[in-house]
Parts: sequence; C-alpha cells; structure tokens
Amino acid sequence: MKEYPLGEFEEIVLLTVAILHGEAYGVSIKQEIETRLGRDVSVSALQTALRRLEKKAYLKSEFGEATAMRGGKRKRFFQVTKTGKTALDHAKETRMKLWAAMPDVKFEYARIWIKDNQPLHNGLPDS
Amino acid sequence: MDQRQPTPPQWSTRFLSWFLKKEYLEDILGDLQEEHQLRGMDTNWLKAKRWYNWQILKLFRPSMMKKFKTQNTIEKETSMLRNYLKIGLRNLWKYKTGTFINVIGLSSGLAAFVLIALFIQDEYRYDRHFENAEDIYRVTVKNYERSGNISRHWAFASAGHAERLKTDYANILHATRIMPGATPDLIVQDKRFPEEEVVFASQDIFKIFNFPFIEGNAENAFEGLYSLVLTRSSAAKLFGDDWQEKRVIGHQVVMAQDNNSIPFTITGIMEDMPEQQHFHFSYLAPIRFLEQILDEGTMNNVGGNYNWLTYIQTAPGTSMPQLQEHINEEFWDKYMGKLSTGEEARMFYDFEFQPILDIHLTSNLESEIETNGSIQQVYIFSIIGILLLLVACVNYMNIATSHYSRRMKEVGIRKVIGAFKSSLVKQFLTESTLITVISFPLSLLLIQWVLPYLNRFMGKTLIFNPAAQSDLLGLLLVLLIFVSILAGLYPALFLSRINLVKALKGEKVINTSRWNFRSWLVTFQYAVTISLIFAILVIEGQMQYIKKSDPGYEREYVLRVDIPRNSMSDTYKNELLSHPNVMKASYSSRIPTGRLADNWRTRFVKGDSAETINFRLPMISVDPDFLDTYAIDLIAGENFRENKMTVLDGNTTVPGQYIINESAAKALGFIDASEIIGEELVYGSTKGPIIGVMEDFHFESLHSQIVPMLLMFHDDFRHISLKIGTKDIPATLAHIEDTYAMFDAETTVRYHFVDELFDEQYQKEERLSTMIKVFALIAILIGCLGLIGMVGFIIETKVKEIGVRKVLGASSQNIWMLIGNQFLVLAGIAFLLALPISYWLLNGWLNEFVYRIDISVLTIIAPVIVTILLTFLVTSYQTLRATRVNPVAYLKDE
Repeated sequence: MKEYPLGEFEEIVLLTVAILHGEAYGVSIKQEIETRLGRDVSVSALQTALRRLEKKAYLKSEFGEATAMRGGKRKRFFQVTKTGKTALDHAKETRMKLWAAMPDVKFEYARIWIKDNQPLHNGLPDS
Repeated sequence: MDQRQPTPPQWSTRFLSWFLKKEYLEDILGDLQEEHQLRGMDTNWLKAKRWYNWQILKLFRPSMMKKFKTQNTIEKETSMLRNYLKIGLRNLWKYKTGTFINVIGLSSGLAAFVLIALFIQDEYRYDRHFENAEDIYRVTVKNYERSGNISRHWAFASAGHAERLKTDYANILHATRIMPGATPDLIVQDKRFPEEEVVFASQDIFKIFNFPFIEGNAENAFEGLYSLVLTRSSAAKLFGDDWQEKRVIGHQVVMAQDNNSIPFTITGIMEDMPEQQHFHFSYLAPIRFLEQILDEGTMNNVGGNYNWLTYIQTAPGTSMPQLQEHINEEFWDKYMGKLSTGEEARMFYDFEFQPILDIHLTSNLESEIETNGSIQQVYIFSIIGILLLLVACVNYMNIATSHYSRRMKEVGIRKVIGAFKSSLVKQFLTESTLITVISFPLSLLLIQWVLPYLNRFMGKTLIFNPAAQSDLLGLLLVLLIFVSILAGLYPALFLSRINLVKALKGEKVINTSRWNFRSWLVTFQYAVTISLIFAILVIEGQMQYIKKSDPGYEREYVLRVDIPRNSMSDTYKNELLSHPNVMKASYSSRIPTGRLADNWRTRFVKGDSAETINFRLPMISVDPDFLDTYAIDLIAGENFRENKMTVLDGNTTVPGQYIINESAAKALGFIDASEIIGEELVYGSTKGPIIGVMEDFHFESLHSQIVPMLLMFHDDFRHISLKIGTKDIPATLAHIEDTYAMFDAETTVRYHFVDELFDEQYQKEERLSTMIKVFALIAILIGCLGLIGMVGFIIETKVKEIGVRKVLGASSQNIWMLIGNQFLVLAGIAFLLALPISYWLLNGWLNEFVYRIDISVLTIIAPVIVTILLTFLVTSYQTLRATRVNPVAYLKDE
C-alpha cells in the first residue's frame, strides 16, 4: 500500500481513464463515472484527483483539439502510465487477498441503541 | 427553447481566471464551458448557469489556486533570508574581534539605555497613583519685596488658608492643612518609642488622597479627637511583626512630649506610602487636636508662619490659571487688607497652586518636605542614555565599514549574479540584526547584574521584569528593531554601493577622501566623550568646592549624639566631658546640617506695639556652649548665661533672650548688628531682648541662601554635640557609648559625625557625579574600541600612500602625523561642537547652587587634551605597525 498510494476516488478515476482509453478528458471522464456508477461528481473533485494522479505519475496528459463548444479552448487528454497500471494492479491484488482471507461466517447487523436503550434490530435471519 | 449558445456566466469565469492556476485554466474552463452547453441544451440554461457557478465555487480551493505575488515574494524572501543568516553567522565568526567589540559595545549601550529608561519612568511616576492626581494642587505662597521681586517662595502655607479657600471657592472641593514635624515619644504597652514623627492633618486629607486602608477606613479614621492612624510599617514597629494577628484598632498609644502625656486610640492602619510619592507619613492624627495646644491666632492666621502643608482638590475641568488669578485678586484684599504701612497686602503675597504631579521633578521651594528629584537630572540622564546608545551604534557603523575591503569581492560577485541593491541592503541589515540579537541576552544580564547597585545607589526600588511588565517588553522589542536598523543602515548602504568592475579587480572602490560620513561618526563619538569628561570635571569641581568650603561652623571631629527629648542633664554632659578626648559639649534641639523647621510667630517690638515680621525666622534651642562647640563667632552682644534659661509656661508670655544671626538683623532693618542689641522681640510665647548677633553660617546646605535664624536658651534638647580631639577615637566612642548606657539603659545610643552629615546633604550631587563618571567610562570604552577599528580602516586605505611616502623618504614621525592628523582635526571639530551645549547645560546645573564655582578655561580645555591622549594611546600599536611597513610589499600589490 505504501509504494503505490491510491485513494478510493482516485482509483475510480484511474480505472475510468483506463476504460476510456485515449478518449479520457474532463467531461468524458466525468460522464463515464456518473453513468456507470450513478454518483455525482463535481468538477473540482475530479480535477483535483486528476492533478494528483498526474503528480504521482500514474497519469500523463497532453493537449488535444479545441472545439467551438468549448469556446475555442483545447481539451486535455489523460492516459494511464505504466506506473499507474501497476498501482491499479497492486490495489486490486490487495483487495483480492483480503477477500480470500475472509472466513465463511454469518454476519449480524450491529445493534443500534436508541432512546430507552431498546435495540432496534435483534439480528435478521441469515442472509 | 432558445437554441442560441449563450456564453457561460461572465463573472464566475472572470473569478476562475483570476484564482486558478494558469496551467489548468484552459482545459478546465473548456470543460466547464462544454458541460455548460450540454446541460443547457439538455435541461435549461438557468440550471446550467447555476451548475457552472457552483462548480467554479467548488474549485476555489488551495490546490487549485495560483501562487499570488505576495506568496511568491514571501517565499523568495524567506529563502534568501536563510542565505543571509548563513553568511551573516559565518562572517561574525570569521571576524571574531570585530564581533566581540560590537557585542560589548551594543550590549553596554542597550543596558545603559534601558536602566536609564527605568529610572526616568520611575521619576515620572511620582504621585500618579492618587486617584485624583490631576486635580490635586499644593498651596504655596510667594512673598514679594517692594521692588516686585520675589523674595521667597514657600512650599507651605499659613494656617488659615485651607479652610478659607475651601469655603470661598466652589471650584475647590476639598482642602487640607497638614502640620508635620511633631516628634513626640510614643508609648505602647510600656514600651517607649522616642521621637516618632507624628503628622497632624485635617479630615479632608483622606478625601484628597485615597490612601488605601488595611484596617479601618477613611471615613471614620478621624472621628475621635484623639485618633491615630498608623501605616503598615509603623504598626509593625509599635506592635511587632505579627501585628495583624492582634487587634490593633482600639489600642491605646500615649503621646508624650514636654511633660505632657496624652492617650490616643488607634483608628486605622493604612498601607505604607509608596516610594514614588513626594511625602511620606507614618503616623497621622487629626489637626483638631492641635487646637487645644496652639492658640487661636496661630491656628488661623493668614499671613506668615508658613508651617502648614496645604493641599487642595479642584473640581475636574477647572482651569487652574484662571482660578489662581481670581483667588490672588480677591483673597489677600479680603483677609489681609492693608498692611500697617498702608500698602495693600496683595502686592506682597501671591498663591501659587502647584499641580501635585509637578512637584517631584520641578519643585525646589523653601523647606520642601523631602528633597525632590529634579527635572534637570532627568534631562541629563535621558540625553546621556540616548547618546550612549548612539555611540554604540556609531561604533558598529564604523567597524562594519572600516573593513569593507574584505567584503568587496563577495559583494561584487553577488552583483554579478544579479542581486538587486535591495537584496544586498537586506543582507547587511540581517547581519546587524544578528549582532543586535546576540547582544541582547548579554545586555539583559548586564541589567540584572547592575540593577541592585543602581537601586542602592539611587535609593530606589526599580524592578526589571519584562515578563511581567508588558511596556518594558514592548520597549525592548522596539529597541531591538530600532538599533538593528539604525546601526545597520549606513553600512548596508555603504557596502552595497560599489563599482562592480573595480571590486572584482580588487581596486579601491570607495571614495576615501578626507572628509565623509565616517568622519562625522568619529566626530560624534569624540563629542560625546569630550562632553562627558567636561561634565565630570565641572561636577567634581563643584563638589570639591562644597566639601572644602567653610560653612561657617566647625564640622571636623564633631559628633552629634541623639538623646531622647530632655532626658539628659548637666550630669550627663559633665560625665562625657570627663574623658580627656572630649573637649566641648553642647545641647541643642537641632544642629547645623539639619533642617530649620521650628518657627514660631515673631513680632518685633517697636515702642508700645509689636509688629509681625514679614519673613520667616526659624529657631533652634541651644545651651550656652553651643557657639563655642561649633566655633561660631559673635559679632555683637554677648552669649547666653548659664543661669538665664528661658522656661516656657503654657500660654502665658515669659521673659526670653535671643541671639540672632547677621541675616536676621539685616532683615529686621539693622545693617549694623550692634545696633539691634537690646531691641525686643516677641517670639512665640516669650518676649525679651536680643542679646547677641552671631556671624552668618550655612545651617542648611549650600543649595540655599543663608536664612535668618534665632537661638534661644531653652531646654528643648534633642541632641548633644561633642567636639572631640583627634587622638584615640575608638576609645572616645566607647566612652560615649558607655556613658549613654549609664544614663539610659533602655535605648541604644545613636550618633553621627557632623562632617558625614554634611556630605549627606549633597547626596543628590554625589550620585549625579558618580553616574556621569560611570557613563563616561562606558562611552570612552566603546569609543576606544571603535577607534581601534577606525585606525585599522584608515591604515588599510592609506597603505599605498604610506608605502610611497616611505620610499620618498618619510620618517616614522611623518607617518605618525599623517595618520594622527586626521584624528586631531576630528577631535578639534568635535570640541567646537560639543562645548557650547555642554557648557550651557552644566552652567544651568551649577545655577541650582546659590554658591558655585566658575568654569575655568582649564576645565574647558582639559577634556580635549585627555581625549587626544587617549586616542594616541589606543591607536599607537597599529600606527607603529604602519610606520614599520615595508613599502615594497604594498607597492607590489597592484
């Protein structure tokens, strides 16, 4: 984890850039995440993540074409670097290891204490 | 819907362009615009706009922001600062001597300045702690002669002034009259405390001055006629250190004087009066009590008999000049009318209401309650403090610039690399700040170390605690900044202003012509040194004059032994005289070097009537041996006879005899003293002829004129004066102690040598003298250190010249002159500048003495000579080396 630090949102952004493979720029990345994951993404959160990822050398970027819709401003296209790919692999591996180590047990809901110390749930039937 | 493509909101865009990092601007703005379009076409433009603005707002975060100019500058400066510090420290270490000299100089200068500041702050603090200080005034009275000149200005008023002023003028809220000087014995539970000074005051004293009470309170303190208020120390004295555990209030204290004993009750205890006050009392009693003892006339008169310390408090906002003028126009007419000569009393009397805050520093009237400080001393010290600090700074400037050649290469390279002049200035300022910062702890140490001596010396209790005193801390910080900049600015500017090419070549780059700013610096130091030496000479001269002067009475080998009032008799006197080394003895109420405080109402008998005199005629009680013991000559008439003592009898007038001094005779109108013999006086409750006139002598110090005074043979004795021989003093003293113990087993003997008492009168001057000597020493020390640096500088710049001259055949002497000449000229100019100011200042100081020396030509010239000699001494080593220089070595260096 230490050699390839990667935040949760950063991982998502990195994966999305990989998915978009050459077509990844601000707007497209944002739309992809919003469509696939169903969560809203603010420009600032996305841009911050992108810059951070670039600083970590997981991404590289270059200018692309300008369009009229953008008022004549060029797009900046991002690509995953080799290091970035390694980071993704590392993250995935780490997750898999942990999942594999999980014993086959029943899970209970946590007791929630409210008002008169009466628990809300008393455990639901095994799922 | 409108398919036009509206532009995104302008303001947000502008906002973004302003704060966003330049590198990101294009693509992020593009993304925003694109999505704005999409959303707008998808939903509506309003929503799109809202989204756009919101996104931009969210983008306003640190990681997105560009580096603003100030941020940039701060970063730049901070990293440069690190470099300056590094180089600065390196330089300080490299040139250790220079650093050492500077640190010593600066820390001394700083320490001196801060100590003086503490002293001055204390002096200005006097009497400020009274709540109504702004409205409190002391009532003083001016007497005029017929010619209109002021004859006397009294710090006391007459008995009847206080009440009348309060009643007649609505603006005067409270008025109190205070009678100090009573010294009864106090008896507490069988313990007798001789001669404690009890002060009688009227009730209003507590209204005017808010003395804090530890026990009891101001309102009830003087309820009873026989009330007594103590202070913390007097309570401890009477009842022991654990007085607070005993219920002291309500206790009885008996006041005993002249065979009268009256019990008083303690009604309150106040805090000790702080040192920063111009008066101090330890025992307070109501003045109504005196009404029983003194007659109506004495308690109520409006003219003469200035024995009553009077204070008034005005309503806030009252204009004192107006009030004063108004009162002076009305009061004297109303209460004194015309004198017996037909003239209006108003012409001879005036009130002056002194603001209480002015008293300590500026007041120097007749019979001040305590010796005051003086504003002149404050001025002198402040100037000296500032000067010392400046001298230290100037020293730094000199040393920093004198070895400039060492730094030239460094500065040259920096400039080549592209340093702005401002950077160079900042660098050198950093160095000066560094040195100042290093000097600071040392100066703090110095202050802590010196402070106890200073306190003891000046009789003060100054504290130096920056942690507690925030204004002190502020001062120190300001000093730090100020000195760093002041000392460092000139060298900084000087060193940064060089010719690049020449510097790198190693050539001379600075204008080294004879006269420039540095010369002014040296001149300044010389001027300060010369002034201080001059001051020392003048002050010492005056002190010697005083010490050697003949005050008109014998003070060598005369002892004053204090005795409890009237407790000793002829037997005691004879017993003392029985010792071969005790030659003369005399009882008296006071002795020369004391104060002339007892003053009774005097009337001069003319035919059938007796006219009150218009000047103060104080008296002391003596025995017939007094004149002999003190070697005072009679110029007319005869001495008291053994058997003719005046014995007072309550309020009835008894016959008396008087000896007066020349001045008294003159004041009564008799130029020829012998003619006044036989004339009669009514003095207090005695009446009788003047039997003798003694020569004038300085009863009090040479600060004041000789006052008319009167002697009376009356047994109110508090001292016995003993003239002893020079042989075997220890045995004589032992004899005196033993004899005393024989007659009074309870109290221990107290005695003083009169010549010591005499010197104590000039304590203030002694202190001033010592202070100035110390300061002069510091200034000279710093100056000498600076000179060493200075000479080094001159030699360095003149090295080639010296070489050439030597080749051409100059002798060592010539080289000496070459270098020395510069200093001579500077010293001469310093002298011309410094002298007028110092002369004027010191002349003013001398004028405070009625009897003073003249400033001789020698006194004026001596400082310069001393300074020049010092210069030679200090610089001889380096100059000698310069003269021995091998010309070849230096001429080769091209």
